[in-house]
Amino acid sequence: MQADRRHQQFELFSEVTLKIHQSLHLADILQTTVTEVQRVLQADRVLMYHLLPNGTGKTMSEVVLPGHPVLMDLEFPEEVFPQAYHHLYAQGRVRAIANVRDPAYGLADCLVEFVQQFGVKAKLIVPILQPLNGHSLEEAMANRRLWGLLIAHHCRSERQWLPWELEFMQQLATPITLALAQAQHLEHLEATVEARTRQLQEVNRNLQQEIAVCRQTEEALRQREAQLRLITDALPVLIAYVDSQQRYRFNNKAYQDWLGQSPELTYGQHLQKIWGRECYRRMQPRVEAALAGQVITYEDKIRLQSGLRLVEFSYIPHWNTDQTVQGFFELAKDITDCKASERIKDELISFISHELRTPLTALHSALKILATGCMGHLSTDGQKLLAIADQSTDRLLRLVNNVLDLQRIESGAFTMNPRICHAASLIQQAVEVMQPMAQHHGVTLVSQAEEIALWADADGILQTLTNLLSNAIKFSPPGGIVWLTATLLPPSEPLRHQPAHSPTLSSTATTGSVVVFRIRDSGPGIPPDQRERIFERFHQVDASRARKQGGSGLGLAICRKIVEQHNGKIWVESAPDGGSIFTFTVPTLVNIDLNQEKA
Amino acid sequence: MSGKRVLVIDDEETIQTVIQFGIKLTIGWQVLIASSGAEGIQTAQAEKPDVILLDVMLPDMDGIHILKALQAHAETKDIPVIFLTAQAQTADTPQLSDLGVKGMIPKPFNSLHLPEQISRILRW
Repeated sequence: MQADRRHQQFELFSEVTLKIHQSLHLADILQTTVTEVQRVLQADRVLMYHLLPNGTGKTMSEVVLPGHPVLMDLEFPEEVFPQAYHHLYAQGRVRAIANVRDPAYGLADCLVEFVQQFGVKAKLIVPILQPLNGHSLEEAMANRRLWGLLIAHHCRSERQWLPWELEFMQQLATPITLALAQAQHLEHLEATVEARTRQLQEVNRNLQQEIAVCRQTEEALRQREAQLRLITDALPVLIAYVDSQQRYRFNNKAYQDWLGQSPELTYGQHLQKIWGRECYRRMQPRVEAALAGQVITYEDKIRLQSGLRLVEFSYIPHWNTDQTVQGFFELAKDITDCKASERIKDELISFISHELRTPLTALHSALKILATGCMGHLSTDGQKLLAIADQSTDRLLRLVNNVLDLQRIESGAFTMNPRICHAASLIQQAVEVMQPMAQHHGVTLVSQAEEIALWADADGILQTLTNLLSNAIKFSPPGGIVWLTATLLPPSEPLRHQPAHSPTLSSTATTGSVVVFRIRDSGPGIPPDQRERIFERFHQVDASRARKQGGSGLGLAICRKIVEQHNGKIWVESAPDGGSIFTFTVPTLVNIDLNQEKA
Repeated sequence: MSGKRVLVIDDEETIQTVIQFGIKLTIGWQVLIASSGAEGIQTAQAEKPDVILLDVMLPDMDGIHILKALQAHAETKDIPVIFLTAQAQTADTPQLSDLGVKGMIPKPFNSLHLPEQISRILRW
């Protein structure tokens, strides 16, 4: 009988333990435990009481037969389970109380009263110990404190608890302790996993953000590149970037149209490979100069897809912040048509002008002959009309001459004939030429010149002087004075009144002495905003007045061209009394590079 | 300075006329006229003028060819030749003296000043 019960007890215990172990959740385990205990012991109530750190406690799970009050959800004050008992239970004490009122059990009156309100007559108590925090399960099991109590109540009567019943309860406490340890361990694991997950999520979020930023940057770059391509591809010129190894790093679409090679294939290729040996031979010194920091512009005839074309190349060095050249920008323009139309224009101007000269000669001479009176005398009105015809012819002649002069200078057909000449002599000649005109206008010419030798095209300088004098006389009132001077300006001395916006003098002119020619009139002056523009072709300050005076609008443009060919500079400023001062400079003899001038 | 004979070789009748009037009115030299290169060479050989005013651009041949033809004949090789040109200025024709031309009078000119210009060039 005894052995039978032992066996039965063992079976029961195994079965309950198995059920308990089917779940990892503490709540399930506790509920299974109380349910099984109630079923086995046939107690009226079985509960799992958990002690809270503040001394109070609560029911974690409960099974109660109908007709008895439910303890679940009730909070129990500290007095229910005094601190003094904790130690005892932690040592493993169990209690089997057959009758709560029996003084033999030593229950305090208040406690008896407390349990009786729930109808408790007998009870059985075993401690549940909780393993303390540890890294491993074994460590945790070795180190335990009181977690709570497994309690069976008997309410319908007093009850003598049998030893196996007590033993059964005690045995069940062990798997619960283990479950608690597992739960705690699991909780710890879960917390660790959760913390790790949070960290990973954070890392992931950061990565996502970085990827998003990268994508945005990449997209922006792609858009910028696309925009740049769109612009450069739309232009009918070659645009490229060449690195210091003379390899292409950027090409626009025009390369494909010109050379029949796509930008992708051109990328990274050496200039010689793209342009061919013959063309590269002419290109090479220019490329090397660009990589040495010079801005290069040159023209070359090149065989392209469309045939032999005249191409203008520009190389612009790309400077690093450390003042080294990293590469250069290449710009190439097909100027074949441009040159052709320019040549046609030049030829047309030349043709018209030359064709005008013969009839003009006849007209001019015929009028002059008529004016002598040898062909018979004209009436006063007839003479007036003849004078008009004569003056108009003169004007027409000047215009034709000016157009031709300018065209010759601009087209490069004009070759300078520089030689040694003297400032004083040039001034004297100019005055002699212009004296009749000055007299005619009632204007006095006053000249003063230092004896300075210069290397210049005497005809050109003379033409400049007479043009400027002619203007000065025309715009001065009758009785006015026109001054003409030539002075030497030593290299160290800056030019007075040289306007800030004027282009800088070329190196030849700035490093040495220059001759300064000045023509000052007593005319109405030139408004400041016109002072640069009057040197442009066909520009006249007062067009109607200029026409009356017989101006072509080309004189000053010619002057500027001639002066610039001498590496000099020309500008105008206001005289203190309201007139104008035209100044131009010509380098003196010692400062001219003879080879350069002959070139 | 008096009694000179000038041969003008120019196809433009207007130019021929104003030169004739200009020279006649100012100095009274005799002016001979030829309207083409061939005619000019013929007249020069026949008349042996003191100076030839030669238009550089003529329909049948240019001034340089006429000049060479004149220089090739014994009768005409010593007659001084002055070019009348609508091409401008000395800079364009720097080798005039190499060709054996005495000088150049650019168009447009005033025919009243021609005798003076010719005299200066030929140091008459």
